[in-house]
Amino acid sequence: MVAKWWFPVAFMFVVSAFFSSIVIGFARFTDERVEANKDLAFEKAVLTVLPGLLQEGESRLEIHRKFVDRVGPPDEQSAGACVLRDAGQIVAYALPIEGQGFWAPIKGVVGLKSDRRTITAIAFYEQNETPGLGAQITTAEFTSQFPGRIVSSEGKPISFKQPGSALGANEVHAVTGATQTSTRLEKIINDALTEWRSKFTPAGGSNRAQ
Amino acid sequence: MALEVHPGGRFESSAINMKSESKKIVLEGLWRNNPIFRQVLGICSTLAVTNLVLNTAVMCVGLIFTLSLSSATVSLLRRFTPRNIRMMVETLIIAFYVIVIDLVLKAYWPEMSTSLGPYVGLIITNCIVMGRCEACGTSNPPGVAFLDGMFNALGYTFVLLLIATIRELMGMGTFMGYPVPYFSGPHWDKWIIMVAPPGAFFTLAVVTWIFRSVGIKQEQKGK
Repeated sequence: MVAKWWFPVAFMFVVSAFFSSIVIGFARFTDERVEANKDLAFEKAVLTVLPGLLQEGESRLEIHRKFVDRVGPPDEQSAGACVLRDAGQIVAYALPIEGQGFWAPIKGVVGLKSDRRTITAIAFYEQNETPGLGAQITTAEFTSQFPGRIVSSEGKPISFKQPGSALGANEVHAVTGATQTSTRLEKIINDALTEWRSKFTPAGGSNRAQ
Repeated sequence: MALEVHPGGRFESSAINMKSESKKIVLEGLWRNNPIFRQVLGICSTLAVTNLVLNTAVMCVGLIFTLSLSSATVSLLRRFTPRNIRMMVETLIIAFYVIVIDLVLKAYWPEMSTSLGPYVGLIITNCIVMGRCEACGTSNPPGVAFLDGMFNALGYTFVLLLIATIRELMGMGTFMGYPVPYFSGPHWDKWIIMVAPPGAFFTLAVVTWIFRSVGIKQEQKGK
């Protein structure tokens, strides 16, 4: 049988079918969990940038509950940002940002106070930048520069400067050795902020806090 | 990439020889026929993942799993697999194990999955896996193939961890993400180039040079 002309074809077919069915079964089995992980990564990023929400060592379930109870998904009223309210008053916004990084899309969240100009924090939940270089954008060394920065109302909302240079109110240091990632990330943040800002025209802004 | 793959020889599987044979496989995989500095296989991933020790470690665990099991599986099917399609079958088997690892990481360790990014998937193209399946899996019983795969992967692992430690330490002043005294201090000007791609070439070359020199000395003493 092994010498027959059709044997290699049949063999390949059987082997493929066998291994594929195991992989498909396993993927089905883990599918829900993988999806939940993706959602959770976003929810966690949102909680990170909103002031006073995330505590150390919270379980996955606690994070999810807190997100649903206190924040909720992005809504149209605040132009696609998640909103944290306290006694009906808007305390802060969490604006999702997304764009092409050096290797793959970078997805993150920028937190802003109710004045929509003061940044509370920044967090990334999906990126594939070079480990050790571009991926440094996720470290505290980089993200800790953002809290307290004031988005400028004219021109570029946020500027990335060369490491070591003096910084203005809307400026942060770029990542050393990762010019590509830094330039792209700067554009991602600025595009998102500019677009978001433009949606709050005096006529359209129904819940302006200022 | 070096094309010559050490054939690994046909290991006798009789019970008497078993002990000395497995000892031989261990020694071959770890040192005498080390995948990195003797066979010069799997250099692509050596260059790509070694800038952080933790990423390297997880990647190596993935490789140990894939290489030992795929080699054993290839060996199980060796009597039925037609010669002309054996490469396709091997790739399929390797891909199967890699996808399983990828799914497990995505579902149960999402943080690691994000930080490894595309590297896990790239185990499929790691030349060591295909090389060992071809050299050992197709001509030896499953037990031998499993051992051979495992110790080749371990040989790969220890060289990679060494390279990663050097690169992370000199490039970022940390080990597994924790700051190391002196290297993270103000007296050490971090060599960014070490974590950038060129650093991988330099470190790999130096490590291969040292190990090869030691190997040559041992051989000369043996004579």
